[in-house]
Amino acid sequence: MATKDTGTVPTYDSTSIKVLEGLEAVRLRPAMYIGSTSESGLHHLVYEVVDNSVDEALAGYCDQVNVTIHIDNSLTVVDNGRGIPVDLHAAEGVSAAEVVMTKLHAGGKFDSNTYKVSGGLHGVGVSCVNALSEALHLEIWREGSTWEQEYERGVPKARLARTGKAGKKTGTKITFKPDTTIMDAQVFNFDTLAARFRELAFLNKGLTITLDDEREDPAKHVEFHFSGGISEFIRHLNRGKQVLHEKPIHFEGDRELPNGGVLHIEIALQYNDSYSESVFSFANNINTVDGGTHLSGFRSALTRTINAAGQSAGLFKDVKENLTGDDVREGLTAVVSVKLPQPQFEGQTKGKLNSDIQGYVVQLINEKLGEFFDKNQSVMKKIVQKAIDAARAREAARRARDLTRRKGAMDSGGLPGKLADCQERDPERCELFLVEGESAGGTAKGGRDRRYQAILPLKGKILNVEKARYDKMLNHDEIRAMITAIGTGIGKDDFNPAKLRYGKIIIMTDADVDGSHIRTLLLTFFFRHMKELIERGNVFIAQPPLYRIKKGKTEKYIKDDKEFTREILRRATENLVVQYGIETLNLMTLEGSELRSFLMQLDEYQQLFRRMERRLRDTRVVEVLTNAELSIDTKADFADEANLRRLAAELKKAGVETTLAREEEHSSWLLTFEDHTKAVRKLDVELAALPEYRRLRTVARSTARFNQPPFVVTRDERRETLPNWRELLSHVMSEGTREVQVTRYKGLGEMNTEQLWSTTMNAETRTLLKVSLEDLVQADEIFTTLMGEDVEARRKFIEENALDVRNLDV
Amino acid sequence: MQCPICKKPVTLRDPEAPFCSERCRLIDLGNWASEKYVISSPASHTVEEEEED
Repeated sequence: MATKDTGTVPTYDSTSIKVLEGLEAVRLRPAMYIGSTSESGLHHLVYEVVDNSVDEALAGYCDQVNVTIHIDNSLTVVDNGRGIPVDLHAAEGVSAAEVVMTKLHAGGKFDSNTYKVSGGLHGVGVSCVNALSEALHLEIWREGSTWEQEYERGVPKARLARTGKAGKKTGTKITFKPDTTIMDAQVFNFDTLAARFRELAFLNKGLTITLDDEREDPAKHVEFHFSGGISEFIRHLNRGKQVLHEKPIHFEGDRELPNGGVLHIEIALQYNDSYSESVFSFANNINTVDGGTHLSGFRSALTRTINAAGQSAGLFKDVKENLTGDDVREGLTAVVSVKLPQPQFEGQTKGKLNSDIQGYVVQLINEKLGEFFDKNQSVMKKIVQKAIDAARAREAARRARDLTRRKGAMDSGGLPGKLADCQERDPERCELFLVEGESAGGTAKGGRDRRYQAILPLKGKILNVEKARYDKMLNHDEIRAMITAIGTGIGKDDFNPAKLRYGKIIIMTDADVDGSHIRTLLLTFFFRHMKELIERGNVFIAQPPLYRIKKGKTEKYIKDDKEFTREILRRATENLVVQYGIETLNLMTLEGSELRSFLMQLDEYQQLFRRMERRLRDTRVVEVLTNAELSIDTKADFADEANLRRLAAELKKAGVETTLAREEEHSSWLLTFEDHTKAVRKLDVELAALPEYRRLRTVARSTARFNQPPFVVTRDERRETLPNWRELLSHVMSEGTREVQVTRYKGLGEMNTEQLWSTTMNAETRTLLKVSLEDLVQADEIFTTLMGEDVEARRKFIEENALDVRNLDV
Repeated sequence: MQCPICKKPVTLRDPEAPFCSERCRLIDLGNWASEKYVISSPASHTVEEEEED
């Protein structure tokens, strides 16, 4: 009966050990056995010993491995396994333990009866460690006794001897000091060992591995024990990351192999919000860095299962193609661990599993992951959505590449057909005008100096989908043409300033809303994808005139409204005198620069006044609000009821009935009145915070000194009396425009080639605005707001920036 | 400043600024390439403009 039993219940004694080869070769060519004699080889010695203990754990006989680094860089590994067999080995005539320690390729793992599964890392065994150690001490607790043996460079100093009683204690303890005449590296690295032991502890649920470093004072100690196994490994890998689902998905299963062995597959995975993939695969605890059949099985099954789940849940309505493997692995952290008898590895480093197990892995994932997705629809949806996002990004990247590919609408020289290039070849002297609109493009082509000025017309395509809005955009071919013409390429890696074809890139658009939208689009594009050009000061904005003032044969071009007003007032006030203060019987005269600055202020006053009128819908109210005598400027002013009572009284005098109320939200007071549409409007702290209101009050105060109607205006012997500041301003403006011819340009196309050349393109006479990075941060913000689907944000933005809306170019 | 794509905070000194990553930069470029960036103004905008002038 006993002999029959050994056939079915495997025993671990000297008969389990097969002898394959001697040790001399190891000392002669150590690198062939442990990879190298440097750091990795040195640590390999430790793993070889520890793996033997882990094999005992895999077989279910060991749950403790303690590793200690001693002060002389010797190292001890103790486990509580069964202890290496001590009985006499039939073939060798010495103890089985001595065979294990001295014969290459000897060990229980080569007999698949003993260990169903074994790391057998490089198949060299602990004898290699012995061969490469100047001293090795072996201690075994087995069958109630303690056994010891000493080795020197692999040679036993005596036979294995029974040295004491062990009671019920079992296990093996090996202390070795690597041979300094062979190993180049001699110092164990605590962190390297700790990382590997952590991994082993994750992979072997329930096993405790400790590491002590006695070289440190006090000694360093770490302990690894993970009851959660590879799920805990996943949590460890994802620490500090934002995970998509709280619990790692975990499943495992056994499959019977054709050779009678059992394949154990364990998989855990969790998604985080990053874009990178972090997948570890192990076969019998060996980190298969080059993957292999278990990993490829995992990958293909994951892709298939996620596609199938998304399909049946109807999540792919907007997706054209299936999700690819890359899509489903974005943000994936996974551990695939298989354990099987006699694993086959491939390659010099044995980092790739070759055993034919792919089909089993696929089958298990299809079944278990599919089942998980069925039961956890919300997790499945998050994962599928993440993969869809990845697919979209992949598609975007493809389109992006398409933009920089040199093909299609380019002529034989590789340049865009629409580009009217210049003759000069020295980029420093060349200029590229990006011109909005075909007709303006034509004018620019006619007006340019073709020696060094190139023109690229852009349509800035206008769509009118629902006739409810005007849409402006740069179309695909235009962006491509622009990138090609500029020549530098785009992106962090591809941008090459040496290839810049023009020292100046000049954006030339109409001085209207459409023009400013195209300009915002272009600036945003440059900011996002050719930022270096801005930093290098290569990008400019042309300043085409908005007005032409002609008198006789002299012409003057004016670039904006403010300058236009200034110019007209300058002309009008050359021989004009204003008298004020008649009612106070203190008649004062205003002329020259003082008069001009007063009138300029009135112009701003008028614009602010109009804005406030639009907001409050009652001119009388705005008029009262400009009263410099009232205290209605700050938040504190509105907290004082008396201030508001005075305001109400003034409004009543002007014919406006108001209601005074307490506003608890700001601990202040407010007045309400009804406008002509019977809508209720408020005068409150929010009004006080409004930029145009504050500016209006400031200007009202600074003009108060001269603003004492009626005004008597004298020019060329003609005298006129005007009842208020508004009429004064309009009278002076019309005086200024009386003898001149004013043209307001609606677009570049309204100028002829000569005019465009002399006002905007001629380097001798034009002004250019150099674009700075700060401008662009703002442009991007405007763009994002204008682009946004959030209508409310858009409205609010424009309102908040109302005072500067002209400067903002929106 | 925010990454135009994912809205993560970004500073001008970041290597991929104004984006947070190469990936967001590519997505943005893909958006330009597929003409997703449009500035719309309501048709009534013109009316407002005239009122202002």
